[in-house]
Amino acid sequence: MRTVEYLFGSPELAAIFWPAVVVGLLVSVLCAVLSPLVVLRRMSFIGQGVSHAAFAGVGLAMVFGLGAGQAGDWGVVAVVALTCVAAAIGIAALSDRKGLNADTAIGIVLVSAMALGFVMIQHASEAMRARGETPGFGVESVLFGSVLGVRWGDAVAAGVVVATEFVLLWWYRRRLLFWAFDSVGAAAAGVRVGATRTLLLVLLALAIVVTMRLAGVVLATALLVLPGATALRCSTRLWPVFAISAAAGLAGVAIGLVVSFELDWQPGPAIVLTQVVLYAGACVVGVVRSRRAARAATA
Amino acid sequence: MNTPADQRNGETPAIEFDRVSFTFGSGGTPVLQDISLRAEPGERLGILGPNGAGKTTLVRIALGLLAPTSGEVRVFGATPAHARAAGWIGYVPQRAAAELAFPLSVQQVVEMPTRLGLKPWQRPDAEARDAVGYALSVTGCEGFADRPIGRVSGGQLQRAMIARALASRPRLLVLDEPTVGIDAVGQQQFATMLGDIQASLGVTVVVVTHDLRTIAAGCDRVACLHRTLHAHGSPDGLTPGVLAEVFRHEVEGVFGAVHVDAHRAAECDDPSHAHHAHTDTGAEGGDDAHR
Repeated sequence: MRTVEYLFGSPELAAIFWPAVVVGLLVSVLCAVLSPLVVLRRMSFIGQGVSHAAFAGVGLAMVFGLGAGQAGDWGVVAVVALTCVAAAIGIAALSDRKGLNADTAIGIVLVSAMALGFVMIQHASEAMRARGETPGFGVESVLFGSVLGVRWGDAVAAGVVVATEFVLLWWYRRRLLFWAFDSVGAAAAGVRVGATRTLLLVLLALAIVVTMRLAGVVLATALLVLPGATALRCSTRLWPVFAISAAAGLAGVAIGLVVSFELDWQPGPAIVLTQVVLYAGACVVGVVRSRRAARAATA
Repeated sequence: MNTPADQRNGETPAIEFDRVSFTFGSGGTPVLQDISLRAEPGERLGILGPNGAGKTTLVRIALGLLAPTSGEVRVFGATPAHARAAGWIGYVPQRAAAELAFPLSVQQVVEMPTRLGLKPWQRPDAEARDAVGYALSVTGCEGFADRPIGRVSGGQLQRAMIARALASRPRLLVLDEPTVGIDAVGQQQFATMLGDIQASLGVTVVVVTHDLRTIAAGCDRVACLHRTLHAHGSPDGLTPGVLAEVFRHEVEGVFGAVHVDAHRAAECDDPSHAHHAHTDTGAEGGDDAHR
């Protein structure tokens, strides 16, 4: 069992692997609680746009000379966070314009962020190697995440973000739910719908920033989509949906990390595949249950 | 003709549009032009118009979600934005507006607006819970209050949305196309329910619709809208000629330009008109129009 060896074998190994586990469990619960809203509001693709903006954020940070070592990490997180929040607000503003729908706006932001990110990361990496330094990020680890790249600094950052987001979600839960259920009705009842949407986009952007270090840019949004989709398959009750989503998110990351350690996969794909399996399981259970209900109704 | 409005002169109108015009952007064709209409407290005002007549724009202005390009709107003497913030307006949106896959029970949907004004740590007090219970009972939602909102029938969903609008104890209830997709029996039940609600709560109701039957069932005042007002007053003012004029654009969409001269067959003294006997119980005598 490599998992036991990595986590409990020696202090050196534990120092490498525990931060990834802590970050994974923290972000899994956060993303899973946001997830039902993302699924129900059909914001999955917005999440993709925002997470790919992180790629440009990493490139930007590297051009600024950040991210070469431990000391630069907070700077990287800050730059990436700002880029993602800017992308979220940019997508919202673009899709409000007449003649440009959300799909197009996201498509534009996504590809331009990816292209810019590639150019900047490549350029900065070459410049660093020329100076004899080792770049802190490889393109692959930014895309798919890496356990080894996660440090205690990331765990602290994730903890702060997760705690702040939970407070904000609890504080604004009533208007967020009302808006998500029926934005026109919410506006008529006095909810500031523009501000509420921006709030959710910023919360999503920050959740993606803390998730991408582990799961990567490409797969970070899976954590925002799959647990909610799984939970909505299992229940039609509000709080059970959020609870099941959180449980599915936690289980997906925990099992996914074990798979990643045992099979030496990158953590992002391992976590996402685990969550896909959980979703498929929920679908099967749902089909069986509705068939049984239909049979009971006809009997 | 004596509308309740005439008997209550001097009271602040529940809602009043004063020469309201609205244009999207600058220099475009006005969506609404020079609209003046009012409803007194406790009245039911029906606003009738075809698709694209500017009904939704009118509702959005009444709710304070859009500002008129010119003119003024007052809801119980206040600006619509103030009235909305004060919780005076209950709004029932078109059915398509809500996300019905949402895991909410009917009761949770009805409770939503009553909880918006609370601090995050506060729970609703007895008065708010009573208001929700009353809204559920007056709309006949008690029997399915615990069911998920996505698993109720069209008529039940509409009643739930009306209950939600009533739960915050509004003084003005605005219904946007309330009878879309509801059959004749459902429409009759809907009209009866609106009557019950008005009798017990004294709330003013504005119904916006393209469905003539919704309007015909028990409105105190009717306004016919197609960019401008074609008639505004008691339902007696709804003549075949006015309706033909309001819906002319829809007819022209099919036939090209038409000459409108609709009238009641019973009142026709032109021997050249061949009027057919009408079997539809909804119409009094046959009406016709020339192409």
